[in-house]
Amino acid sequence: MAVKVLGISGSPHRHGNTETLLDAFLDGAGKAGAETEKVVLKELDFTPCRGCNACHKEGECIVRDQAIPLFDRIFTMDCLAVASPIYSMGITAELKGLIDRAQYIWARKFILKTLYFSNDHIRSHKGIFISTAGLSWDNVFDAAFPAITAFFNTIGFEYYDNIIANEMDKYKGILGHPTAMNEAGEKGERVVKVIEKIRSELDEKAE
Amino acid sequence: MPIKVLAFAGSPRRGGNSETLLDWVLEAMREEPDVEIEKVPLDEANVNPCRGCNACEVLNRCVQRDGMDVLHDKIISCHVLILAAPIFCMGINSQSKALVDRFQVFRSRKYVLKLPVVADELKGKRQGIFLCTAGQNWDYVFDGAIPTVKCFFHVVEVRDKDINYLMVNGVDEKGAILTHPTAKNDAEKLAKDVIANARNLLGLRS
Repeated sequence: MAVKVLGISGSPHRHGNTETLLDAFLDGAGKAGAETEKVVLKELDFTPCRGCNACHKEGECIVRDQAIPLFDRIFTMDCLAVASPIYSMGITAELKGLIDRAQYIWARKFILKTLYFSNDHIRSHKGIFISTAGLSWDNVFDAAFPAITAFFNTIGFEYYDNIIANEMDKYKGILGHPTAMNEAGEKGERVVKVIEKIRSELDEKAE
Repeated sequence: MPIKVLAFAGSPRRGGNSETLLDWVLEAMREEPDVEIEKVPLDEANVNPCRGCNACEVLNRCVQRDGMDVLHDKIISCHVLILAAPIFCMGINSQSKALVDRFQVFRSRKYVLKLPVVADELKGKRQGIFLCTAGQNWDYVFDGAIPTVKCFFHVVEVRDKDINYLMVNGVDEKGAILTHPTAKNDAEKLAKDVIANARNLLGLRS
């Protein structure tokens, strides 16, 4: 069974630097034999979390919009790449909106205790964060990492790697960056091979 | 001249912990004779996320027509700007992040177009307050929020040293902050301190 890779683009700007970098990652994964898909959050009809905590009781979100089928789809994936440019030192409101909606999954794990991911499950599900920033500061991605870490933890994916490129303003966009596009393609290929290897190890263990 | 306070209640949960913290601050400010307060619940403010189109770098205005149209002038003319937001998933909630990102128009004005963002007499004289609550009681639960909040204040000419923080962790369910041992006192003290500072900076007498 082919490795399934989903890319989620959290940029409001279609085919901008971040989405282009995500595309390079997905192309690399496709080259390695993965089945790849992409979701553009801007085109998805969903609202941010209302903070109502209703999910703490039943483990279900009462907001029935397109975020729920997206989470269902995420749970059928082996690799999830979430992509967002840095706006005001953080991820976009669109991606944060989706991440906040994972509260019902968090509630299942930590309040209701109806959901549990084994270490083997987590190890064989890889999460990648893809981001670009205009500024040159080394720390420009730092404030984005905690939300991404929390998200992958919640949904049972190992936060495996970052593909990040700053100084977009200097390079006049991602295509002018000396290494980022190649790095994204290579990392796409590599993560598929890594997942295949882990799968075969797990299969052997099961036999 | 009254001290003008503009306060954003960023949580989608009305009357929750971060808004309660804000209300304590505003109540204490309201006891002062010379304070004029406007509170804006983001839930009702119709502020869409930034589209990342960068048109503001040329137009000096946002191409979106929404709640920001009426908020724009209030943001740049107030003396005390307050953002109250909960932590969701290790960052400020999405709705508050949308407001912060819409300050891109001010960033463009300041750094790209190199135009003044506030009137000369307000420059260096504005105070900021960031009020935040989090369900988790980890010390580092606010770390992801602070750089974003600094952007929010910097681009509208609130200096780093004039940003005041009151961040309360370990309050999750609605009303949890009501039994917090220090939050209410801290909020009231902060309110008095900020108004006193504002008076000093603006050269006003109480």
